[in-house]
Amino acid sequence: MLRTSLLVPVLFIMVASTGCMTHVVRLQPVRAAFQRGDVAEADRLIALELEQRGSEEDLLLLDRAMVTLADGRPADAERMLRRVRDSFDHLEEESPAENAWGMLSDDGARAYHGEDYEKVLVRAMLAISNLVQDGDDAEAYSLQIADKQRSIVAAAAQPDGTNPKAAYQQVPLAPYLRGLIREETHRDYDDAARNFQLVVDWQPDFGPGRGHLARAVGGSHSRRGHGVVHVFALVGHGPFKTEVEEIPTSTSLLIADQLLSTQLGTTLPPTIAPIKVPRIVAAPGAAASVQVAVGDWAAGQTETITDVSQMAVGQCEAMRPYCLARAVARRTAKKGTIYGFKQGLGMREGLPSLALDVAGIAWEASENADTRCWSLLPDRIQVLRLELPVGSHTLLLRPLDRQGQPLGQPVPQTVTVADGRNSYLLLQATDAGLVGRPLTNSP
Amino acid sequence: MSLADRPHEPARLGRRAFLRSGFVPLAFPVLAASGCRSMQFARVMMQGEDAMIGSHQAGQETFTPLVNDAVAKLLARHVDAAVQQVSYTEGAESLPSPTRRICFVGVENKSAEDIGDFKEQIYQSIDSRILESTVFQSVNRRFVDAGLRDTRLRPDQLLVPEHMRTFAGHMEQQGQPIDYLLYATITSGTTRENRDYQRDYVLTLELVEVGTGTYDKQSAELSKGYHHSRLSRWRATNPLMPK
Repeated sequence: MLRTSLLVPVLFIMVASTGCMTHVVRLQPVRAAFQRGDVAEADRLIALELEQRGSEEDLLLLDRAMVTLADGRPADAERMLRRVRDSFDHLEEESPAENAWGMLSDDGARAYHGEDYEKVLVRAMLAISNLVQDGDDAEAYSLQIADKQRSIVAAAAQPDGTNPKAAYQQVPLAPYLRGLIREETHRDYDDAARNFQLVVDWQPDFGPGRGHLARAVGGSHSRRGHGVVHVFALVGHGPFKTEVEEIPTSTSLLIADQLLSTQLGTTLPPTIAPIKVPRIVAAPGAAASVQVAVGDWAAGQTETITDVSQMAVGQCEAMRPYCLARAVARRTAKKGTIYGFKQGLGMREGLPSLALDVAGIAWEASENADTRCWSLLPDRIQVLRLELPVGSHTLLLRPLDRQGQPLGQPVPQTVTVADGRNSYLLLQATDAGLVGRPLTNSP
Repeated sequence: MSLADRPHEPARLGRRAFLRSGFVPLAFPVLAASGCRSMQFARVMMQGEDAMIGSHQAGQETFTPLVNDAVAKLLARHVDAAVQQVSYTEGAESLPSPTRRICFVGVENKSAEDIGDFKEQIYQSIDSRILESTVFQSVNRRFVDAGLRDTRLRPDQLLVPEHMRTFAGHMEQQGQPIDYLLYATITSGTTRENRDYQRDYVLTLELVEVGTGTYDKQSAELSKGYHHSRLSRWRATNPLMPK
């Protein structure tokens, strides 16, 4: 009787921690809708998810912000992004309760506070969303990006002096934004030069970087009677997380099980269920850049300032040992719990012990890798700087694939250029061409 | 029968044994569940309260005294000059000397650190102090920015005589005549001693007379030690430690 009553909480925990469909699978229709340019459908699907899954509100809001930007509502997108930024900052704090629950189930039990690249990019997207409105807070956001990058690396310093995040690829978009904002003052060229220098250091492949640096060091923002249009293009399909089975680790644990079972004189649930960990996968799609024409003049193509997929994959690899260690610790805790119960209930062999082993295997098999991520990020963030005479201009925006062939129909967009000022244009391009409509801060 | 002589009874459940071994793995997460995520708090710092000191780079503890010191010295010197210029002539009515107009061009950061949002604060702080003094009158920053934008001149180009005349002429056209250009520059020098380092910060104010190109200069200096541990800081500040 007592044994039966004691088994109830164990079975409850096992059932409660049973995994379900992963985030990436659930969000696949949203990604598909967005990538084929169906903004309304993507928004409807996210709204549906938001109704059903309040616990994933932050992540869904991130995706909704991208859809909202494509829908031409930057103020709403900024509000959502700001909310997620604050929530991530709060959730970054360790919660012993969640950590403990995570040890009994999987990493999905812990509140999601964003991957490091997401924490930085949420601020970058805030800055861009603000620039295509009045730009009042863009400078503050650009400072926050730099601060966040610094604090992420600083917080990972180990007591032995090593730092797994020290080699993180930084986000060159951050100093780029700050550089162009400071350059527009016509006064703080030293700040602009300092930031463009970082762009050159962090993203040597960014062709125009040296030109920006040279201009900040010895030139001026623009010629008299001219202003500058900065085009931001969110190009391609961003990275996502998928679940992979860590076979070598699972095999090692199986051997350890066998050794321990012999030494302890009782069986442990064998590691039949593989260790599952998330892996970031790049699936960039066909879109490569956006060609911008002003009238008959092919003004240029956007160039990559931040390769989101590359950065995400790199950061995931850097933290992979820690992710694996957590998965192994969780598996060990589960085996320890089963062992403890067997000891407590005096089970060493026989059918009850076997039943508990089977329950233990089921418990372990219920683990899912944490595949939560910001799924509507672009593959690359690209930029183009155009110096144009004061007045109104119609830009023709044409997404191109890797072979330079057009994707979808070109879209005209009018911008107004003011003397010595920056104008900003934001657009999103996928395999289907431009998604939604471009945004600009000019009237 | 002693305890040691008792046969092993694997199938029986002892309550203590259960609590000791069986319940421990469950008790751990339950206890841990009582912990929750900490919140961030803020407070208004009272006057006279010890301000925070930047552990990795300069903060208000560095810039506030630098600004106070440099501006005070510069103003003091020019108050003296203003007093000397006024002379008494018998029978003539004494006129107050005209207030000289300063165009504060900007703060240039040439230090090893990114000063972030301090740059604007340093500018505003210096500008406010100049405005409060009776020695100079500063030109509103929005006019300065508009002047730089309209002429497409960089702050460092204004020292070329031709550019200076162009800029001064433009400002005059806008109803903002200027007598002086003021530049503020932050520089730093770093001395390393193993894992610790000392950084000397200097704020230099350069005052250039537009008509003649003559200039005055005033600096303030502050040194800061950065230590990798409390012990290292204690060793550096303890007078009994051998140098």
